Amino acid sequence: MTVETLILVCASFVGLYMAANIGANDLANAMGTSVGSKAITIRQAVLISMIANALGAVLAGSHVTNTISKGIINPQLLSSQPDKFIIGMFASLLAAGIWVNLATYLGLPVSTTHSIVGALIGFGIISIGASYINWGKVIPIVLSWIISPLAGAIISGTLYTLLERKVLFAEDPYKASLKYSPFFIFLVFVILILSFIFKGLKNLHLNLNLFTALSIAIPVSVIFGIAGRYYMEWRVKKTISSSEEKGYSLIESFFAQLQLLTACYVAFAHGANDVANAVGPWAAIFSAVKTRSVALKVQVPFWMLLIGGIAVGGGLMAFGSNVIKTIGENITDINPVRGFCAEFGAATTILVCSRLGLPISTTHVIVGSVIGIGFARGAGALDLRVIKNICISWLVTLPFTLFLAMFLYKIIIYLIL
Amino acid sequence: MRWLLTSLFFKSPFENLQRHADKIKECTHMFKKAINLHMQGKYEEFENIKDEVARLESEADAIKRNIRNHLPRGILMPVDKFQFFQYIREQDKVLDEIEETLFWLSFKHVSIPEGLKDEFVHLVDLVIKPVNLLPELVNQAIVYFRTNYKDHRNRVKSTCRDIRQWEREADFVERELKLKIFNTIKDAFLIFYFIRLTEYIGSIADHAENASDMMRAMIAR
Repeated sequence: MTVETLILVCASFVGLYMAANIGANDLANAMGTSVGSKAITIRQAVLISMIANALGAVLAGSHVTNTISKGIINPQLLSSQPDKFIIGMFASLLAAGIWVNLATYLGLPVSTTHSIVGALIGFGIISIGASYINWGKVIPIVLSWIISPLAGAIISGTLYTLLERKVLFAEDPYKASLKYSPFFIFLVFVILILSFIFKGLKNLHLNLNLFTALSIAIPVSVIFGIAGRYYMEWRVKKTISSSEEKGYSLIESFFAQLQLLTACYVAFAHGANDVANAVGPWAAIFSAVKTRSVALKVQVPFWMLLIGGIAVGGGLMAFGSNVIKTIGENITDINPVRGFCAEFGAATTILVCSRLGLPISTTHVIVGSVIGIGFARGAGALDLRVIKNICISWLVTLPFTLFLAMFLYKIIIYLIL
Repeated sequence: MRWLLTSLFFKSPFENLQRHADKIKECTHMFKKAINLHMQGKYEEFENIKDEVARLESEADAIKRNIRNHLPRGILMPVDKFQFFQYIREQDKVLDEIEETLFWLSFKHVSIPEGLKDEFVHLVDLVIKPVNLLPELVNQAIVYFRTNYKDHRNRVKSTCRDIRQWEREADFVERELKLKIFNTIKDAFLIFYFIRLTEYIGSIADHAENASDMMRAMIAR
């Protein structure tokens, strides 16, 4: 075995380790609202998230990744020393993986995205020095951590208020939900298709402009919206037999069907956003080993995204079932209507932020969405002190992975060079 | 293990509110029994039941304190927290008034004159009616906050209306009874004793109505 192969094997191992940790920690939270509302079972949640997550990674994930986390540091400064770059990426992946693993074990609410960002900043500081870090690029990242949960809250809260007025308070709520459902399905598909066109099809160099993209997305979504309505009506009729409160259990099961769609949507968005956290540095190592140079941007191979997506699903399957169960049992306040709103708002925010290239945390966006529904008076008692926990997790995650990455980098450099 | 999403969800204080309301229903049952025993002149058994009610009251008090003490700032509820506390206060006062009535009767054992017995029994029956609706009211509210359906909200509203109507009827009977007390009893002490007793009984329904008004305010849109 050559040294190169050894490096690649080690890198793959660490990359997959990070991916599995992301699955165990992040994806479980992403499916939490679906399981909590009993729209889907734990098994279904695992299956859906594995498939939709892998699809999200492949179809809408970052095929072209800025090697060093959205340009926080200029990798060209290391162009003469690809070895250092490889070691740095390796140390960063390992540091982030260890931290997420530790946090999952301790039950700490951390963000996998922030872990990798922190680790990469640490590597940047130790390899080229703090003065070379592009701190200007750090500001929008930090802002996005605040803005993204807010965006999730606003979208979910507005949608819930709208639903309450138009559907829950309608004379015949079931009829109203049938009437408005094509619109919701339409929205889900428009955003799915747009994110697919703008990110997934980038490799084909189609370079569609917004107008062309919309002219494809809108008609297709209209068809899906109308077809989806009739499909769901048929499904609901099939599943519901007779019940005392038929009017309301019909809506519940109708929205449970819709939530099946948004659960896929969330898992897809997660795949698009978070798989890159593990796959990005992994791809950077591969590229550096093969070309013996450090590129500003590297192409993430299709197979890597696919494997990354599957590894995330595998991590969920191996360690996430318990998490999903705990979450499902604890958030019974979420019914299908609320779950639908939370997932719609969260997934939309994640896909939009992912498109803008902002590293955001899936979990934080989902928490934001649920709080948004709470503010629309659509949830039981919510503990807003959790916001403090999120802030603590930002304050702990970044320095921890930053210093761990620096430490690991030094050790590896000491051992090898 | 703690998970960010699960730690977001706080145990709803409405469950304890339901327990509190259930305790009240238990008490109204005993209250009725105590009044009957008192009228039959079985004061010893009456005293036992009074003590039992006092025990239940202190249990309900513990539930109330538990709700209040474990609702820190930073908990987002579907209702205004101030209104929620007002509601518990009023619901708790219902129990206080039941206890006060029994204590008033036990301070001095005065037998109720034959001519007033029926009216007192009628008044007691009437004030118990709105109080017994409180557990149902809380339950309906819990269902409404879980689903946010218009229908479920209408049920809460209709129970509030029922409580209000029973209270109005009890008020009417209370006034009639006071009039009768003034007209039939000559002794100043007895007048004071029975007027005060009537007021205590009447205020049980008043607080049930206040509670339901608060509930109505909580579900206002």
